[in-house]
Amino acid sequence: MIRAQNVTRRFGDSLAVHSVTFSIGPGEIVGLLGANGAGKTTLLRMLATYLPPDEGRLLVCGHDAAREPYWVLRKIGYLSEHNALFDSMRVDDFLDFIARVRGLEGTLSAGRRAFVLDRCGLADVLAKRVRECSKGFRQRIGLAAAILHDPPVLLLDEPTHGLDPLQVAAFRDLLRELRPGHAILLSSHVLAEVAAVATRMLVMHDARIVLDEPTKSLEVRAQAAGRSVEDLVLDAVRAGGAPEVQPALEEARAP
Amino acid sequence: MTADATTGPPLPPAHAFLRGAGLVLRRELAAWFGGAIAYVVLVVSLLAVGSLFVHEFFAAGKLDMAPFFDRLPLVLVLLAPAISMRSWSEDRKQRTFELWMTLPLEPAQIVLGKYAASLCLYAVFLAGTLPLPLMLFALGRPDPGPITAGYAGAALLGALFLAIGQLFSSLTGDQIVAFLASSFTCAFLVATGEARVVDGLDGLAPAVAPGSLLADWVAATPRYEAFARGLLTASGCVYFVGLSALLLAWNSAAVSGRRT
Repeated sequence: MIRAQNVTRRFGDSLAVHSVTFSIGPGEIVGLLGANGAGKTTLLRMLATYLPPDEGRLLVCGHDAAREPYWVLRKIGYLSEHNALFDSMRVDDFLDFIARVRGLEGTLSAGRRAFVLDRCGLADVLAKRVRECSKGFRQRIGLAAAILHDPPVLLLDEPTHGLDPLQVAAFRDLLRELRPGHAILLSSHVLAEVAAVATRMLVMHDARIVLDEPTKSLEVRAQAAGRSVEDLVLDAVRAGGAPEVQPALEEARAP
Repeated sequence: MTADATTGPPLPPAHAFLRGAGLVLRRELAAWFGGAIAYVVLVVSLLAVGSLFVHEFFAAGKLDMAPFFDRLPLVLVLLAPAISMRSWSEDRKQRTFELWMTLPLEPAQIVLGKYAASLCLYAVFLAGTLPLPLMLFALGRPDPGPITAGYAGAALLGALFLAIGQLFSSLTGDQIVAFLASSFTCAFLVATGEARVVDGLDGLAPAVAPGSLLADWVAATPRYEAFARGLLTASGCVYFVGLSALLLAWNSAAVSGRRT
C-alpha cells in the first residue's frame, strides 16, 4: 500500500532524506523512529504529497505521490507534526467540514462520525471552538480528522504528542483495532512508544534508513543476545550514521 | 482503483470541483463572520463611503451616483486588500497551509473557494451601499442605467482588486506586506488612468507617451469609468474578468509551488 523507491529530498545543500526504500503492506503498523532531524517528518510530508521528492518515487495505493497528489490524498489520513487545525471553527463543524471534503455523506458520515467521537473521546468538546481545546484534545481532534474517512493508509507524525498516559493507551488500542486492512506509519523519537504498538520498525538516522525489521524479530534477536531492543537500535544507528546524532537518540530511549 | 502512473486518473469532474470549492467558501465565510474583523471592515468602509457620498451629493445637488462611483476606486484600494490580505497569510501564520494542502482538494478549488468568500464579503459591502440609490429614487427620478452599470463596474473592479490581494497574500506570509503590496498595485491601476498622471507621464517622454500607453493597456480606471457612465462595454468585461482569472491562475500556481 505504501512503496518508497530510492527517495531523496534535499533542502538546499542539506540532505533531509537520502535514497530511502521500503514498502508497507496492509495489516502493518510501522514505527518510524529516529532522533529529531533524522528525516521522519520530511518522509511523511512527501508521502502526504505536501513535499515532492527530488529523486525516487513514492507510491500510495498505486498512485504516485508527486504526480497524482489528489488521488493519493483521497487514500490517506494524515496527522501532521504541528497538527494545525482551523482554530476558529467549532469541533463538530470542523469534523463535519472534513467529512464533506472527504466525500462522506448521510448515514455513512454519521456512522464514521460516531466511531471517531467514541474512539477519540471527543463528545465533551464538540460544541467548543478548536482554539478553546487543550493540547491533548487538539491532538485527538487531529487524529479523528485523519481517520474519519477510514483511509486505507494512515500517516501519523508524533501522534501521541501531548496525550496523557491513559490517552496514549487508548490510542494504542485504537491503532490495534484499525490494523486489519490498513497500512499505518507512525513516527516518534521515543523508542518505547513505537515498540509498544508497531509490528515493524524503520529507524532513520542522518536522512537514511538504518534499520528495517519486524518488532518481534528484533525482540527475539535482543533476547538471544542478552541485550535490549534499544541496544540493537542504537547499534544500527552507530553502524549507519554520524556519531554526533547518537546522544540525541540515547536520550530518546527513556519512555 | 487502478493507477496509470504515466497519465494518472482524470481530475475531479466539474461538479466535484465546484462542490469542493463551495465547501472552502463556506468554511472561509464561517471564519470571516465568526470573528469581529469582517464587521469592523464593513462598517468602517460603509461609513467612509456613505459620508463621502452624502457630503458631495448635497454639495453638487445632482440626482445621480457619480460622487459614489468616483470615490469608490480610492476606497477599494484600501478595502479590497484589507479583505484579501489574510486569505493565505493567515494560513501560513496558523500553519493551516499544510492542512489545506493535504486535504483531497486541488489548489485551484481552494483558491476559488477563498476568492468566492472574499467576493461574498465585498457583495455585502456593495449591498450596504444600496440605501444611497434608494435615497435618490425616493427624492426623484434618477436615470437607472448609469446606476446599474456603475454597480456592475464596481463589482468588476472589486473582483479584480480582490484577486490582486489574494495573490499577494499567497506570495507572502506577512499580512502587512500583503496589504501594502496589494494596495500599491491597486493604486497603480487606478492612478495610471487619471488624466493628470497620464499627462505627466506623457510629458516625460512625448515620443513614447508612456502615460497613454499605460492608460490604454494597463489602467483599470478608464474601463471602470465607462461603466460608471452607463456603458457596459465588452472590452471592459474582458479586461476585468480576464485579468482576475489570470491572477487566480497565478495564485493557484503560487500555492502549488509553495508546497516545495
